Amino acid sequence: MSLADEITRYVVSEYLPGTSPEELDPSYDLIDTGVVDSLRLLQLIAWLGERYRIPIDDMDISPENFQSVAAMTAFVTTAQDHAALS
Amino acid sequence: MLVASRIHEQASRTPSAPAIRWQDRSVTYAELRELAAKAAAHLTGLQTGGAPVALRASKSPESAAAVLACLSVEQPVLLLSTDLGPQVFDALVSQAGCAAVISVDGADLRVQPVPVPPQAPVLPPDTCLLLTTSGSTGLPKIVPLPAAGVGRFVDWAAAQFGLTEGTRVLNYAPLNFDLCLLDIWATLCHGGEVVLVDPARAVQPRYLLRLFAEARPEVVQAVPMLFRLLTEAGDGHKFPEVRHVLLTGDHTPHRVRAGLPSLFPGASLHNVYGCTETNDSFLHTFGPQQAVEDDVLPLGRPLPAVEAALFHQGEVVTGPGTGELVVATPFQADGYLGDVAPGGRFFRRITDSGERTWYRTGDLVRRAPDGRLTLIGRNDLQVKVRGVRVNVEEIERVIQAHEGVVEAVVVPLPDPGAGTRLHAVVRTVDSGPSSLALRTHCAARLTRVAIPDAFRLVNEPLPVGPTDKVDRHRVRDHLMRELL
Repeated sequence: MSLADEITRYVVSEYLPGTSPEELDPSYDLIDTGVVDSLRLLQLIAWLGERYRIPIDDMDISPENFQSVAAMTAFVTTAQDHAALS
Repeated sequence: MLVASRIHEQASRTPSAPAIRWQDRSVTYAELRELAAKAAAHLTGLQTGGAPVALRASKSPESAAAVLACLSVEQPVLLLSTDLGPQVFDALVSQAGCAAVISVDGADLRVQPVPVPPQAPVLPPDTCLLLTTSGSTGLPKIVPLPAAGVGRFVDWAAAQFGLTEGTRVLNYAPLNFDLCLLDIWATLCHGGEVVLVDPARAVQPRYLLRLFAEARPEVVQAVPMLFRLLTEAGDGHKFPEVRHVLLTGDHTPHRVRAGLPSLFPGASLHNVYGCTETNDSFLHTFGPQQAVEDDVLPLGRPLPAVEAALFHQGEVVTGPGTGELVVATPFQADGYLGDVAPGGRFFRRITDSGERTWYRTGDLVRRAPDGRLTLIGRNDLQVKVRGVRVNVEEIERVIQAHEGVVEAVVVPLPDPGAGTRLHAVVRTVDSGPSSLALRTHCAARLTRVAIPDAFRLVNEPLPVGPTDKVDRHRVRDHLMRELL
């Protein structure tokens, strides 16, 4: 399963009961549509950090990194590249 | 004396004192006055003819200076949330009869004149700021605040919480919230330093802890969210320099409240009750023991010159009992802008202290035999979601405006994390919208907290009660049984 698929599945199963993963476009804005509020943002950050071993505490993160599945995928990819280099 | 002239006088008295701390910048009173003068220069060519201007209220010293500029030239200004969808924003600008829209982006300020609609409402003569209610739909109500009332409020706040030269006050709320009348405007009127919380990082505990450690605020007013983040992430952090903690907007969960005394060992704790229409009306100050032990905090005592009563079915509740809280404050608006229909929330009332305008809060309050008042909840269909009042009927109207929707009901359900979450049950036509499409539809028309958390799509009619209206209680009970 691709990174984007995995994140999609998590978002759908946690926050969009009744929606199938195929329905969720990777660019769908999760913040403007209220799917992810500030509480869930914390939960998402924690999940991504743990699942993909990203040292969240050492990173500069902003809500834009979590605006959509595509944004989160890019964030995780960048963070992993970083980790691989250092 | 009015807010703007006080801040200008303060700038003459202590030009090099810090006025606003924002990110890594410290803006002095002289610099703030300079920024305001620059903003005011943009306003001079504008022929508003008494009409307000609108400001999309992002948070920065430049935005605050733009508001100060408006106050200085007695240009009424409507502060609008950055969260509003474009349709709602435009509708409010037009409803208020605004002559221009100000946008601030970094150091850039733009003034875009807009045509004033012919039937624009007339502002009450003393209006300085126009705020909006946290209404959920397309059209929140506009609250014109009188300059004299704002002046009285900043005096009360300064006396009550000891705001004076050098006092550092945290500002957590967005710039368009009534809470800023204390955090920002009362502070600046008295020579203090406003510590602006960056909204982009407002839910990051690490950032908040660092800001507290570095900016060392002495007065902190916020919705329960901030205190929840701090108490959960606290790890034994202590901020003994905080002298006053003001809880607002909502019932603060017991667990959060219990963590406050160790986080703020030097602080007096206060529960503040108020709303945009009247500003603060009640204050309850409590100690560490009550923070830990009490299940529900009382409303406390009315502020000086505030009158309050409980109404039940048109009668005043004099002894113990339950009723809708009605208040009159020295800070309040006299009505919503353009709302002339009788039977609204504002009404005239005569008591022993004379005749004045009162406001029905819509909050049910219980008076115990010992006189203690506690808040029960909304007496109509308004519910509070994350400190913001939303009306479920208005949300339903928005959902039902979608062409693929037959009927919809929205019910609030308790949620351990967020307090309350809204669930929508929507009956759609065959091949009607998906739940994601409905979200997008709502996001364009509603403020964010009013977008239901879950959309359930059904094909069968919603259950109705005896009057053929959708039976909310049955829907709610059904969902509760399923979810719990």
